Amino acid sequence: MTREGGQHGEPLPRGLWLASAPLALFIGVPLLALLFVVSPADLARHLTSRMVLGALWLTLKTTLIATSLVVLVGTPLAFVLARGSFRGRELLDTIVDLPITIPPVVAGVALLLAFGRRGLIGRQLEAFGIAIPFTSVAVVMAQVFIASPFFVKAARAGMEAVDARLEAAARTLGAGRWRVFWTITVPLARPALLSGVVLAWARALSEFGATIMFAGNLPGRTQTLTLAVMSALEGDLESAVAVSVLSLGLAVMALLGAKWLAGQWRMPVA
Amino acid sequence: MRGTSIVTLSAALAAALGAPIAAAETVRVFAAASLTEAFREVAALYEQQHAGDTVELNFAGSQVLRTQIEQGAAADVFASSDLVHADALVAAGLLGPHRVFARNRLVVVVPAVSPKVSRLQDVARPGVKVLVAGPTVPVGRYTAQVLAKLGSAGLYGDDFQGRVQANVVSQETNVRAVLAKVALGEADAGVVYVTDAATAVQKVRTIDIPERYNIVAEYPIGRVTKSDAAAQAKAFVDLVLGPDGQAILRKYGFAQ
Repeated sequence: MTREGGQHGEPLPRGLWLASAPLALFIGVPLLALLFVVSPADLARHLTSRMVLGALWLTLKTTLIATSLVVLVGTPLAFVLARGSFRGRELLDTIVDLPITIPPVVAGVALLLAFGRRGLIGRQLEAFGIAIPFTSVAVVMAQVFIASPFFVKAARAGMEAVDARLEAAARTLGAGRWRVFWTITVPLARPALLSGVVLAWARALSEFGATIMFAGNLPGRTQTLTLAVMSALEGDLESAVAVSVLSLGLAVMALLGAKWLAGQWRMPVA
Repeated sequence: MRGTSIVTLSAALAAALGAPIAAAETVRVFAAASLTEAFREVAALYEQQHAGDTVELNFAGSQVLRTQIEQGAAADVFASSDLVHADALVAAGLLGPHRVFARNRLVVVVPAVSPKVSRLQDVARPGVKVLVAGPTVPVGRYTAQVLAKLGSAGLYGDDFQGRVQANVVSQETNVRAVLAKVALGEADAGVVYVTDAATAVQKVRTIDIPERYNIVAEYPIGRVTKSDAAAQAKAFVDLVLGPDGQAILRKYGFAQ
């Protein structure tokens, strides 16, 4: 598959380079600053502390579960949005996108009011002795809520880009819907699907506001890396920076992964 | 008046240095979350008494405010809910001498609707969800002290402190987060200041902690040394320490 790169023979004007520098520096410099505060030896010491290892393990576990759930329930929804034509499609699309634009803390309050012990749904669960807030399940739910649009958007765009005539041709040759989906739609949309997966995972990794609201902050149970940064910041700046460096590393990995998977280094992902 | 001449002088200085004068008429007050309502009222009174001046309030856990000031946040006044964070800033040369302007005590709050906890000893019962503030938050440290006192008194059976700790479902970053989640009914009990409980009387019930086992939280206030509104900062601190400020604090349940 070939794609248009941004390459033309003509070099870009120097002014344009200058004009694009401020934003790149503005984002890059603070992130670099993180790397100069703590020496590598101290970094290693902080990163092997019990708090950090506990938070790292919990973060990996919850984000992997959350990302799997997002793919499981996000794929059918993306397909409906990509291929369906029905009243309320734009409304559905807006609802699915909302977690990107609402403040995460608001998402956390909303989750509490729905799934909390006194919440709309949580009240029913409470009757069965199930309480979600302040558990690792709540951490996963907050991550799914916040991260799902990143996958659904990418998956939808990827599926829309698949030529519907190919699917129709396969159908006329006798393939069932399910087979068409797995043998035509998914393989052709794979780069978009995979980059959506990685972006959703990256967003889940950085989730903070909804988590602290809905799941609280308890080491070992609900204290993910971002919450550990916040807690460490209140006592030990160096340790907070060390955890920040770790989070930065994971985020860089995720983004590079997304770009590599999407196979388009020069184009924005998603 | 001396205060006025300082204001005039600093305004003239600011003008001479080309700094915007308006910046010098804003006093930025960093205050512990538990002071929210009381300091909003003090700030309104200050603005009434000093026409043209504005007070910017920044409420958070005292440990967060301390970190912000250490990292160079522009603050003029710091009002902490414990001496530890204020003393640390004084030691670092970032805060001038401070004075205790209010005192507070702890209380256990439970949801007003169908509470599971009605006595202090119930907090240690298995399955009770307890909220506290984290160990660096002043109220979190006070909570640990109270639990230790109650535990060593042996009133409520073996290892009261350990059993309560095992019930803790979250270490919140400030006292108001503890209160809010108990008020929502998401936790069965939380430990907050008496003054916090008083702001949510319809949503929470309180269980007293006997004075013998309670603590006295001392709230110091001081001026930030790098303040660029020194005169305004002083006026604000004086207002808090003076009869008008004290009356407001007492109205919200703070002791002198």
